[in-house]
This record gives sequence, C-alpha cells and structure tokens, in this order.
Amino acid sequence: MSAANPVVPSVPAIPAAGEATKHPSRRGLQVAWIVTLLALMAMGIGAFAYQYANGLVVTGMRNVVMWGQYILFFMFFVGLSAGGLIVASAGRLFGVKAFKPITRLAVLEATVAVILAATFILPDLGRPERVLNIPLYFNITSPMIWDIAIVMVYMAMSASYVWLYARADLARRGSWLALGTGTSERTMAREERAKGAMAWIALPAAILLHSITAWIFGLQISRGFWYSSIMAPMFIASALVSGLGLVILLALLLRRLGRLSFRDDLVALLGGLLGMFVVVEAFLILAEYLTALYPGAPEGAAAARMLSGPYLPLFLFEVVVGLGVPFLILAIRPLRRRPAWVALASAIGIVGIFVHRLNLVQNGLSFPNIELPPGLPVGVPQDGSSFAESYFYVPTAIEWMVVIGIIAGGALLFTAAVAYLPMQEPEAH
Amino acid sequence: MGVDRRTFLKGAAAGAVAGTAAGLLPVTAAPVQAARDYEVPGSLPVDRVVRTTCSPNCTGSCGQLAFVRDGVVVKVQQAADYPDAAYNPRGCMKGLSYVNQIYGADRILKPLIRTGERGSGEFREATWDEVLDKVAGSLTDIGTKYGWDSIHVFGQVPGSGYVQKGANYRACALLGMTHGTSFDFNGDLPMGMPITFGVQNAEHEAKDWANSRFLLLLVGSNPVETRIPDVHFIFDAVEQGAKLVVIDPSFSPTAAKADAHLRIRPGTDAALALAMCRQVLEDGAADEAFMATYTDAALLVRADTGVRLREADLVTGGDEAKFACWDTATGKPAIVGTERLGFAEGVRPAMAGTWSVTLADGSVIGATPGYALVRTELDRWTPDAAAEVTGLDPELIVRVARAFASAKPAAILMGGGSNHWYHGDLTGRAFALLAALTGNIGVSGGGFSVYVGQYKVRVDTSPWWSPGGTKAHVVPSIYFVRGRTETMHPDVPYPEQGWHALVCTFANMFVQAMDVNRLHETLAGLDLIVVVDHQMTETVKWADVVLPATTWYEKTDLTATPLHPFLQLQQAAIDPVGESRSELSMWREIVRRIDPAKAAEFFEMDEEEAIEAILAAGDVPGGPTEGITLEMLQAGPVRLNVRDPDVPFATQIETLVPFPPRSLPAPLAATAAFIPTARIEFYKEEARFRDLGETVPTYKPPFDDTVHDPKAWPLTLLTPHSKWRIHSSYANNEWLAEIHGGRPEVFISAEDAFARNIETGDEIRVFNTRGEVVAWAHVTPAEQQGSVTLYEGWWPRQFKSGKGVNELTSSAVNPIHEVHFVGNMWSPSTGWKDCRCEIEKAGQA
Amino acid sequence: MTEPKVRPVDALSPASRAWGEIGPRSDQPRWGMVVDQERCIGCWSCAVICKSENDVPLGMWWNRILTEGDALDQPMVSEGGGLEMHWLPLACQHCENAPCVKVCPVQATYHRSDGIVMQDSDRCIGCRYCMIACPYGVRNFNWGAPVRPTPHETGMVTARPLGTVEKCTMCVQRLADDQIPSCVWSCPTGARIFGDHNDEDGRMATLIREREGTMLLEAAGTRPAVRYLPPRRRSPL
Ligand SMILES: Nc1nc2c(c(=O)[nH]1)N[C@H]1C(S)=C(S)[C@@H](COP(=O)(O)OP(=O)(O)OC[C@H]3O[C@@H](n4cnc5c(=O)[nH]c(N)nc54)[C@H](O)[C@@H]3O)O[C@H]1N2
Ligand SMILES: Nc1nc2c(c(=O)[nH]1)N[C@H]1C(S)=C(S)[C@@H](COP(=O)(O)OP(=O)(O)OC[C@H]3O[C@@H](n4cnc5c(=O)[nH]c(N)nc54)[C@H](O)[C@@H]3O)O[C@H]1N2
Ligand code: SF4
Ligand code: SF4
Ligand code: SF4
Ligand code: SF4
Ligand code: SF4
Ligand SMILES: [Mo]
Repeated sequence: MSAANPVVPSVPAIPAAGEATKHPSRRGLQVAWIVTLLALMAMGIGAFAYQYANGLVVTGMRNVVMWGQYILFFMFFVGLSAGGLIVASAGRLFGVKAFKPITRLAVLEATVAVILAATFILPDLGRPERVLNIPLYFNITSPMIWDIAIVMVYMAMSASYVWLYARADLARRGSWLALGTGTSERTMAREERAKGAMAWIALPAAILLHSITAWIFGLQISRGFWYSSIMAPMFIASALVSGLGLVILLALLLRRLGRLSFRDDLVALLGGLLGMFVVVEAFLILAEYLTALYPGAPEGAAAARMLSGPYLPLFLFEVVVGLGVPFLILAIRPLRRRPAWVALASAIGIVGIFVHRLNLVQNGLSFPNIELPPGLPVGVPQDGSSFAESYFYVPTAIEWMVVIGIIAGGALLFTAAVAYLPMQEPEAH
Repeated sequence: MGVDRRTFLKGAAAGAVAGTAAGLLPVTAAPVQAARDYEVPGSLPVDRVVRTTCSPNCTGSCGQLAFVRDGVVVKVQQAADYPDAAYNPRGCMKGLSYVNQIYGADRILKPLIRTGERGSGEFREATWDEVLDKVAGSLTDIGTKYGWDSIHVFGQVPGSGYVQKGANYRACALLGMTHGTSFDFNGDLPMGMPITFGVQNAEHEAKDWANSRFLLLLVGSNPVETRIPDVHFIFDAVEQGAKLVVIDPSFSPTAAKADAHLRIRPGTDAALALAMCRQVLEDGAADEAFMATYTDAALLVRADTGVRLREADLVTGGDEAKFACWDTATGKPAIVGTERLGFAEGVRPAMAGTWSVTLADGSVIGATPGYALVRTELDRWTPDAAAEVTGLDPELIVRVARAFASAKPAAILMGGGSNHWYHGDLTGRAFALLAALTGNIGVSGGGFSVYVGQYKVRVDTSPWWSPGGTKAHVVPSIYFVRGRTETMHPDVPYPEQGWHALVCTFANMFVQAMDVNRLHETLAGLDLIVVVDHQMTETVKWADVVLPATTWYEKTDLTATPLHPFLQLQQAAIDPVGESRSELSMWREIVRRIDPAKAAEFFEMDEEEAIEAILAAGDVPGGPTEGITLEMLQAGPVRLNVRDPDVPFATQIETLVPFPPRSLPAPLAATAAFIPTARIEFYKEEARFRDLGETVPTYKPPFDDTVHDPKAWPLTLLTPHSKWRIHSSYANNEWLAEIHGGRPEVFISAEDAFARNIETGDEIRVFNTRGEVVAWAHVTPAEQQGSVTLYEGWWPRQFKSGKGVNELTSSAVNPIHEVHFVGNMWSPSTGWKDCRCEIEKAGQA
Repeated sequence: MTEPKVRPVDALSPASRAWGEIGPRSDQPRWGMVVDQERCIGCWSCAVICKSENDVPLGMWWNRILTEGDALDQPMVSEGGGLEMHWLPLACQHCENAPCVKVCPVQATYHRSDGIVMQDSDRCIGCRYCMIACPYGVRNFNWGAPVRPTPHETGMVTARPLGTVEKCTMCVQRLADDQIPSCVWSCPTGARIFGDHNDEDGRMATLIREREGTMLLEAAGTRPAVRYLPPRRRSPL
C-alpha cells in the first residue's frame, strides 16, 4: 500500500489533528487517493459478486489445493495485526519509552489489519450467506471456531485500545467519541493504568491470536508439512517480522506526511529489533526443515519438495531474499541508521513473509496425503483424466481483484482514522 | 541503545510457551460430538425398473436393471438375479455407465443421408420414409445389376442377439444377399478346435474354473480385464489352493494376480506347449490310455503316403471311413470304426513303432501310430530348444510342466492373445495335446478352453434365420476386406461380380477390421454403404445412409453367451430415443419396399413371435431350450438345457460316443467332416497339412516376420482388448474417459523407449508397411523389450492422426484355414497380434 | 410421462431384492465395509455405480481406485526385483475419530449413531476445512454448477448445492430400505463386503479377524469403519 502513496514534502511542525486535510496543495492528491481506493473497492465487490454467482470454480482452487489466496491473506493480515500489537504492548510492558511515539500507530495498524483478516474469510466460503451458521452451530472442537472467537475478542480489544489512546484528545476536542470522559488528573491517571492493564491483555491476546491461527494448520495430522509443534512459534516470529515491518513503513510514511514525528534513532532501534525477529524466523525455519529432512523418511517429502521444481524459486525467495537481504541490511549499523534502508528492509521482509505463507499453503496442499495414482479428483470437468496426483495452485484474476478490493477497503479505513485521530503520543506524562 | 534485548527475548519466549501450552488443550480422541440421527431422504422414486441384458460384442451378457424415472433411464445396475448365485452380480463398469451411451453426445437420433465426401461426416437429417426408399431402391438396382450376392451384410456376433441380428440373416436369405462372418473375422475362431475336436469351439462354463483344484494355466488371456464378471471364479479356485500361472509377454493385470508369470516372447506359445508335452512324456506322466481311447493316437498312418491306413487299403471293398491300429495282441492290424470310441474287445493297440502292413493289393508298406509321429516332433522340444524360441527360463518350463502334470484337474484357459495369430491354430493344437496327454479333457475343473468372442449360437435359430428353410449364403468377411485368395475353398460362395454394396450393422467395421487401408480400397468400389448404429462412429462417418438404431434398453431380443449357459431377454425399458428403431423393423420396411409378397409372408413376425419360434424349435427332448417359455424368460434368466457344470466333451469321455458334438447352427455332418476319425485328431492327413508340414502340432514363427523382416521391424505390435472399452464401444463414455484420460497410449519397455529416446507422454509414430498411427508413449515395466502394447478400440478421432491401430494389422489368410469351409467354423481366422512395427518420436523422419 | 412412482426397492424382482438385503446385524449396528485387495481387480465398477447412484457430477468421485504401482494399472518394481501391482479402492472411511467432524466449524459433517459420517448440505458453509483435515482425500467440493454427460439428472438422490462439500454417505438412502450400498451390490468380484462391526460373528467381522484386516493410515488414529484385507502371499511353483 505504501508504494501506492504520493510522495509529499515533509513538514517539520506537527499540525493539529485534521489540519493536514485543509492544506490546499495536498487536497487534490488526497481526493485522488480516496477515489482510487473507492474504485478498487468497487472492483473487488464486483469480482466477489461474480464469484458468488458462478461458484469458487472461478478461482484457481480445486479439490487438491482447496485453500488459496483468501486464507493466505487471512493469516497474513492476522500476522500483521498481531505483530503490530505485540511490539506496541511489549514496548509499554517492558517500559521501552522510546516506542511511545509509534504506539498509537501500532495499535491502529493492528486494529485495521485484524478487521481485514476477518473480512478475507468471507470470499473463501462457498456459502458466504450462511456465515451466521458459525455462531448458530459453532463446533467447539474446531480450531477455526477458536480462531474466529479469538479474532472477535482481539478485534474488540484492539479497538478499545485505540480508543484509550485517542480518548484524551477526543475529549479535549469535545468529541462524543470520548464517551463523556474528561481529561481531569484522575481520569488521566486512570487512563494510564488502563493502558498498562491493556498492554497486559493485549500481548498474550496477540500471541494467542496468532498461535491459534497457526493451529488451524498445525493440528492437522492429514498434512505432513504442517503437522508440527513449531507452527505456532513460527507464525509468531513471522508475525513479528511482517507486523513490525509494516509499523515501521507506516511510521515513516506518516512522518513524511507530517502526521507523526520521532527521531531517527527510533527507526534504528526498530530496525535492530526487526533484524532480530528475522533471525528468530530464520532459526525456526532451519529447525523445521532440518527436523523434516534429516531422517530422510517419507514424512519429510513435502519439505524436500520445497527444494526442487517450481517450489524451489519460491523457497529461495522466502529464505534468501525475504530473510537474508533484510538481515544483511539491518545487521550493518550505518545502514540501520538510515530510515530509507530500514524501510527497504521492512518492505522486503513483509513480502518475504508473504511468500513464506504462500509456500506453507501451496506446498502443504499440492500433493495429496495418499500419493498413489491416479490421485485426487480435481472437482471440475477437464480434458483428459479428471484426477491429479499433484496440483500447482495459481490464483486467478478474480481472486486478485477481490483481495485488492478488500485491502483497498482497509487502506481507506486507515486513511480515515489517520485523518481523524491524532497519531502523536504526547511526549509528556 | 536503550533497550535490553534479553528482556525482550524472555517476553517473546514466555509468549511462545504460553502458546504451546494452550496447544495441549484436550482435543479428545473419542467421537467428537454427540451423534445425530436426522431423517435422511430415501431413494428417489421411479416409474419402473426393467430387466434387460447388456450385450455389446462382449462375452459378459450381464443382466442389467434399468431404473426409469419420468421416462428416462437414470441408473443402470446389475440385476444379480441369476438362479445360480455363483453368477451374481455379473457386470462391469462399462455396462454400469451405459446411461452415457443412451443419452451421450454421440447418440444418433435421426436417419441421415450423406451430403459431403465419404468419410467427411457431413450428413443431412432425413425422414425414415426417405432413407428406407433410398436404401431399398439402391439395393434393388445393385441386386439386379450385379447380383444380390454382391451386397455384403456385415453384422457382428449373432450370439448376442438372436432376433435383431438374426433379422440380418433372414433378410439375406429372403433377398439373396451375402451375409459376412464375424467369429473368424475377429480372429477369435480358434482353428485348433475344429482341426483337433471337429467343433467350432467348446469351452467350460466360467463357473467351472472354480473347480480347478490345482493349476490354472492362462495363455494369452487377460480375464482381469476381459472377463470382469467371471474372473472371480479364478479367485475362488485360488482360495481353494489352485495355483495360477499366467503366460503373457506383458505384465497384464491378470499377471498381477498370478503365482507365476511367464513373460513369453509373443507368438511363441506353441513352442512352450510342445516342450511341456515333451516333459510330461519324459517324466512318464502321460495318460496313454486316454490318448489311445479318445484320440487318433493309435490309428496307423501310412509311411508311404502320410495318410491314414483305412479298411479299404486292407481289404477290397473295405470302408474308406474305417481306420486301423496295430493290435499287439494279434500282431495284426485291427479295424477301428467311427461309431464308438475306444477299440473292439481284446484289441491292444500299439502306440509306437513302425509296422509293416500288407495291403489288399498285396504290396507291403510301413505304418506308424499317429502318436509316434507326434512324439517324434515333440522330441525336438527340449526345455532348451523351447527356451531358445520363447525366451523363457528352461528350468521354469520344466517346473511348470511338472506342476501341471501332477495337478488334477488342471485347466488351460487360452485367449485372444495366443489365438490372434496366423499360426494360432498350431498353438491351440499344441495346448490341446497337453490337455489330452494329462487326461484333462472332458473333466470338470480341467479342459482346454479358448475364451474368445461372443460367438456362440446356443439355440436352434433356424425358424427365424432361415425363412422357409432357405439359408443365407455366407462369405468370410475377410474376403470382403482383402478380396478372395488363390487358395480360397471352392465351397465359398464368393460373388461372381465382386462386392458392390455394404450394409454394416452391429459393427464398427472401419475401426475394428484388419488392414483398414486395404479395406478402403474395397469400399472405394462400392455403390452403397449403409451403416446401422446408435453411436456416431468412424464407420458411420463413411456411410452413404445412416439408420439410427435403438440400444438394448429400447428393444426386445434374445441372447446368450459362451461364458454362462443362461438364456436372457433384452427388454425395452424406455421408448426409442430420438427416431431410432429396432433392426427388425428396419429390415421389415426395407424388404416390404423390395418384395412386398415376401415381406408379407416372412417379415410380419414381431420380436416376441420370433423368440417363441426359436424356443419352440429347441423345445425337443434333449434340445437346448427344452421346457423354456417366453414367460419364464420375462421373469428372469433361465439356464439352458445343458449339464451343470457345462463341461465340453464330457459325454464323449463318459459314454464313448464319437466326436464331435454338434456346433449350432451348422448341421452335425458339416463339422464332423473336419475329423474323419471321429476322434480327437492330433494327426492331420489332408494334403495341405502335409505340404505345409503341419500334420502334427508344431511351432512356426510369426507370419508377419516374412512380411516385415524382424531386423528392420524390431517391435511386435500387440493390440489386446482394453478394460475400458468393448472394442471401440464405450470409448466415448465420459465417465470412463475421466478415469483413463481418453487418449491412446502405447506401452513400451524402458529399453525400447531409451533406444529411441522416447519418454512417457511423447507423441510417437507407430508404423509399418501397411499404415501408421500417432499416439502417446507410456514407458512401463509391464512391457518387455521387443513388443509394445496399444490396446485396440480407440477411435481414430482420439489418435493424434490416422485411421486407428488397424491400419497396421494384417489381412493375411492361412491356407490351412481354407482346407474345409464352414463359415465361422472352419474359415480364415485373423492374426491381429501377428504384426510387426517400428516406433519413432512424432515429427522425426 | 407421469406414471405413478414407486420406491425403487419395491420395483425390484424378488431375486434382485434378495441380493441386496443387508442380512443379520447386532441390535446396535456400527456399519462398515471391508475390501479384499486380493479379489479387487481395479475395475472401478464400485466407483462408477457410486457416481451413478448418487448423481455425482463430472470431475468429482466419491469413490476411486488407487493403483499401488507406477501409474494407473501399471505395476511397480518390488524390492525383490519382481513386478507388483495391487488396487486400493478408496472412499470415505467413516472414521470413528473423524478429523473432518472435529474441524467442521458448524457441525455440518457429523456422526450418526450407526457410525456413518454424514454431511449436512443445508448447513455446510463451504469453508473446506474438512477437506484439509481428511487424511484420505475423499471429499469433493462443488466448485461450480454440476456438469453431467446426460441432458438430465441421473441417480437415486438429489444433487448437492453449489459451494458445499460432498462425499460417500454409505448410501444411507439404500440402508433405509435395508439394501446394501450400491458399490457393494455392484462389485463383480465380491471384493467388497458390507456389514456391522458390532456383529462379532457376522461375515465382515469374521473376515477382518481371520484375514487380519487392516486400517488405512492407522497411525492417524482415525479408526476407520472401512477395513482392508491384504493381498495373499504368492505361492511359488
Ligand atoms: N473389457 C473388455 N472385455 C472383452 C473385450 C473387450 O474389448 N473389452 N472383448 C471381448 C472379445 S470379443 C474377446 S475376443 C476377448 C479377448 O480378450 P482376451 O482373450 O483376454 O485377449 P486379448 O485381450 O487380445 O489378449 C490377452 C492377453 O494376451 C497377451 N498376449 C498378446 N500376445 C500374446 C502372445 O503371443 N502370447 C501370449 N501368451 N499372450 C499374448 C496380451 O498381452 C493380453 O494381456 O475379450 C472379450 N472381453
Ligand atoms: N487390432 C485389433 N483389432 C481387433 C481385435 C484385436 O484384438 N486387435 N479384436 C477383434 C475382435 S476379437 C473383435 S470381436 C472385433 C469386434 O469388432 P466390433 O464388434 O465391430 O467392435 P465394436 O467396437 O464393439 O463395434 C460394435 C458396434 O456396434 C454398435 N452397436 C451396439 N449396439 C448396437 C445395436 O443394438 N444395434 C446396432 N445396429 N449397432 C449396435 C456399437 O455402437 C459399435 O459401434 O474387433 C476385432 N478387432
Ligand atoms: S460390458 Fe460386458 S461385462 Fe460389462 S456389463 Fe456389459 S456385458 Fe457385462
Ligand atoms: S468393483 Fe470390486 S473389484 Fe472392481 S474396483 Fe471396486 S472393489 Fe475392486
Ligand atoms: S475419511 Fe475423511 S471424510 Fe471420511 S470420515 Fe474420515 S476424515 Fe471424514
Ligand atoms: S466445508 Fe462444510 S462440512 Fe466442511 S468443514 Fe466447512 S462447513 Fe463443515
Ligand atoms: S457406499 Fe455408496 S456412497 Fe459410499 S462409495 Fe459406496 S456407493 Fe458410493
Ligand atoms: Mo472377439
């Protein structure tokens, strides 16, 4: 999303909330930005309608690889969300004052991301209109139910977290959104305590959120590539990389837009942190593959496959580009001090994590659990045999349109929030 | 920097731990929710369920139920109603997918008249009146101009539809048209049978396989794919401890079930059989009493002429039809008659040696028992000699021979793979010898059976096929494809003015016939091609007039098969689809237009009347349909009046009545002429046998080796029958195509593929001097070096190019098959597998 | 044609109907099946009749036959160097500990008290999590509108709606009429035996005991109601 942003000269002073929107020279760009997002959303909705009418046959998914783009983006955004919040709340919990300037941003990012994540479930359903069956007939043994539950809780929590941070300024502005709360000494004190408490809930919640998402996959004995206790830790590590990465990008962007100000060494600090997360992720991946491949047993077949055929380039991208490059950049002190480089590292990191998750889904499903000819019925008529011993999933244009539409929606939401809510955490207190 | 890393790691780690802890939350192994018992909707109701019989050119003849809803068949499933439970359920995936044939895209719904070039497949729809007038008109013109016998009516295997297919014979008989043959044309007629036993063919009913206690020898037979409803009888035997030995160049799915798979070199089975016979003799395991009593073993053969010594030679005025053996009791020749098997009281026939006999004219000649001559030939076939030819391990040959001889009863099941050769007759004779030497003829669980086409006429069809006693004259259809031969038997009523019209029905001739390019030369000379079918086949594409037929779910017929002795009806479950019609009604209309008088007299019968006439004719004491009525058949399958289990020659073996039993529909005399001794004959005295050195069972290399030098044409092209089709039928069935992928694959060994740098999936050209096809390679361990397999029956449109695999096969005629002539009984039998080829990647050369 | 309609089972001849009767069972049946790999010839009759009986559209198969070999009906080279090939018919195993049932968020796939794992097409939201969870890959999703080779619907049950998952139901519509599943009826080699696991000395249970019937992917702990009789050992000459 950041790439799609108009580059605008940064302004030193921190304008009051909403002032930016009044700046004439920027107005045109903002309108264009909003209009673009709306257009993309319309496209997404159109694509979704088409898919709804014709069925998921319009996607690249089939019986063999029956989950694709939508689930992929679901977990990706859950990751972005959890990552953002973990950083924010951890920062507060361990009293890392330096993080203060970006806490609000992090919390907001987390909230928008989790809303998107939830949205991605809908187009994945063959029967979206039956979504209410979930609360009606929910099955307690289904990790998907656990996940939906935690997503809901988490959404509410992060929303109120955002509110906590915005409350005071809203109150000062006399907005009803302050819900009648004031800014008296006592309330401010309570607010502080509430924030503290919130951090205590948010951190485990964020971690749990992503662990459960991991377990949707990791608990399935039917999928050798997933069935591993390292899934949860790995999901969290990747969440941290992508989440923090996105926070960094947004922070730098907002600073550009003059909606936020902080000193460069915060960037360096976050960069260092990101580098560390990258290392953890790399370590877990290593552990996973080593364990899978070392015995040379059939169980390792899926992992082995990553190292050959059409999967190899994806794997190399995940590891070499996605983790290696950011690590190199961030390991070099002078580079880490340069925001542009940190931004680059973050961007690559995010993409890397995306590919990591793509590989997880693609390779986890491409080959049926019982690998005997003729394989699985693909599910739709096709030339020749209707069975496939393996299937390489490629998302269709429709899937991309839906995804882009939803992301555009998220961007719009974020833009609005940024435009309306103060982003800067006052240095005082 | 102001942040302490460790605190962070601790934090993260703590989180992770918390996470995994949560992961251990109990997710029970026991059933996960309370069971629920919702009301599930029952089966959707139907109008009715109708019992009919699946009868493509397959030997199954499986009773099927048509489930009809709102006038359409919505499911086909086995009737499983055979009174003999061993035969239930009977059926295969093809029959079960027949709805797609009834309603599929290739179904012909209206009469068609050609508008484009022949073969272009361009037609216009026409009314029945128009096409019937046209056909009747043209036939009359051709009949009057060139003679009615120049019209060739080709209809496959009448055994699978006595009435509708019989209508072809009836019409031919009435109008004087020539009816073609199919059993011989199909290469199925196992010439070894008429030569040895004087019958068209005679096989044990499938149920009897289960009684084979010890060893089943499968020669060129692939029942797992080609006898799907019956193969379980083999498993029944195996469960009782029988050993299963499969002789096949390829690792067929049947070989996958075997105790031993002998990977023989194609076309060399006779050598193996001869070596086994020799081994049996060497081990002293031969049943000489059996040989003497039931076969011609003891009958003396003149050393000077090579023909049998007859009573007429010994005494003036003696009988030409009486023979002689050397009686060791009296030291003189003893006369052996043909009215009873065995020998006169006290005669102890010599089985070996050459005896000097004084003839009536006083001259003295040497004479030898046929058995001795057979043994002389066998002596050549040491295990090593056979190994040389067959490529098998000599040890293994000995082991199999011994196992076979020590196992009683032991059965030999021979199939098309061994029979579909120019010299298939020699192979048959050699295995028949093995069965006789071990006394396995005529005993339940034993026997030498050749399971091939759906040929068998089990009832007396004469009242329907031969109106007013007139029989249609029959010419082997191979003479239609390739013209007559020099050596053709004089009795063959080959049309004086050659062929001028073809009526092809119940057959996909231009795909399934041999040497298709040669066939097209004949077609080019025809004034009229009429094709009757319900699928838009390649043959239909070449027709001038297309008559849409009904399926066996839309008409009435009477059918039976060699595999089981049940008489069954085809009964209409639905109205004819589109404007299709039964063959009987078509012929009635055509004959009406040509000769109203004859039609009135002979073609007003409907199906049920025809069936009743057939039943009545056989309803005589000992007759095949004794006590069987139409009502009984309408209720379900009825076992014909045959012994249970149906074991060929059992009567001869038990009661010493002479060979052969009758082969319907021919009169007994016709086939009895094949074996003048009225015994099982292993010595053939006719001149041509002597000239060609085939008086006794022997081995000759494949015939196509003389056409295609093995050095230049290193590969043998095997074209066996596919599990997924009945020949070309069902090749267009979408359910089945979903499974097998719908494109012709050529199965080839790794060695041969490597030598031509071919890999699985490559487009390859399969060619010889007769033609070529382009198909896809499939490298597999199932094939052995030197032979490739391309299952027959793929439609030309499914190939990358070409007319289909039969462009390559041969129409050579073995003169031995022309020594006598009774259509479908002693008649030229095709050698489909006797075919060499070469293969290369497509686009090369 | 508007003839009075009848239940298919009532339209059968006595002989045919008798062939299909389920026969003896315990008073608390747990239905199951055993497939004899020695008798199985990989003919797909059971798979085809399943498609026909249940109006399963093109592209989908509730029941399929895997080849234990190099490719469809092609052997593999065994350890001993010889060639080997067996067939493995595979449909829903009706697991007692069914992963699909566990993961279905809306309990649209569930157990009946007779052990059959059923699918509620009216409740299914089409998330396909059950397909992820099933170790046997026997579930099919209705990706698009059904396509048939025939111009009309076929089979004995109504087709499932777009966007839902379907699979072998053990032919419950037939069990309701005391008739064995169609695949069992139609197996030409008698390789499929239907029965009640709780009927210890019933034919199925006895076969499983005596021929040491196995479970597919036993390690997955799914405890299938479908069992397999291993191929016999070949006896050398
Ligand atoms: N599914 C199905 N069943 C059918 C038919 C069908 O088309 N499809 N057709 C029916 C009819 S009409 C017939 S005639 C029969 C024919 O069916 P079968 O009697 O089984 O004959 P084929 O299928 O021609 O060949 C059987 C086996 O012989 C092997 N073979 C080839 N050459 C040789 C050889 O030289 N020696 C030996 N020992 N083996 C060899 C082949 O590899 C093959 O595995 O099937 C009947 N049943
Ligand atoms: N290369 C090679 N060629 C072979 C063989 C081989 O082994 N190798 N095998 C040979 C053998 S053994 C045989 S038996 C022949 C079989 O040769 P065919 O009998 O010609 O083979 P099918 O393809 O079954 O053709 C039957 C045709 O009859 C049509 N038909 C079905 N029902 C009806 C009906 O009710 N009325 C009418 N009018 N038509 C109907 C079908 O649609 C189909 O087109 O093939 C022979 N060809
Ligand atoms: S195709 Fe042959 S085996 Fe199959 S059901 Fe019909 S008759 Fe029986
Ligand atoms: S029908 Fe019977 S023999 Fe054929 S594949 Fe199914 S189980 Fe095996
Ligand atoms: S086989 Fe698959 S679908 Fe059937 S019960 Fe087991 S897990 Fe569920
Ligand atoms: S697809 Fe349907 S049955 Fe399967 S898990 Fe989702 S809701 Fe349950
Ligand atoms: S039981 Fe019924 S639904 Fe299940 S595989 Fe057999 S035929 Fe198909
Ligand atoms: Mo045949």
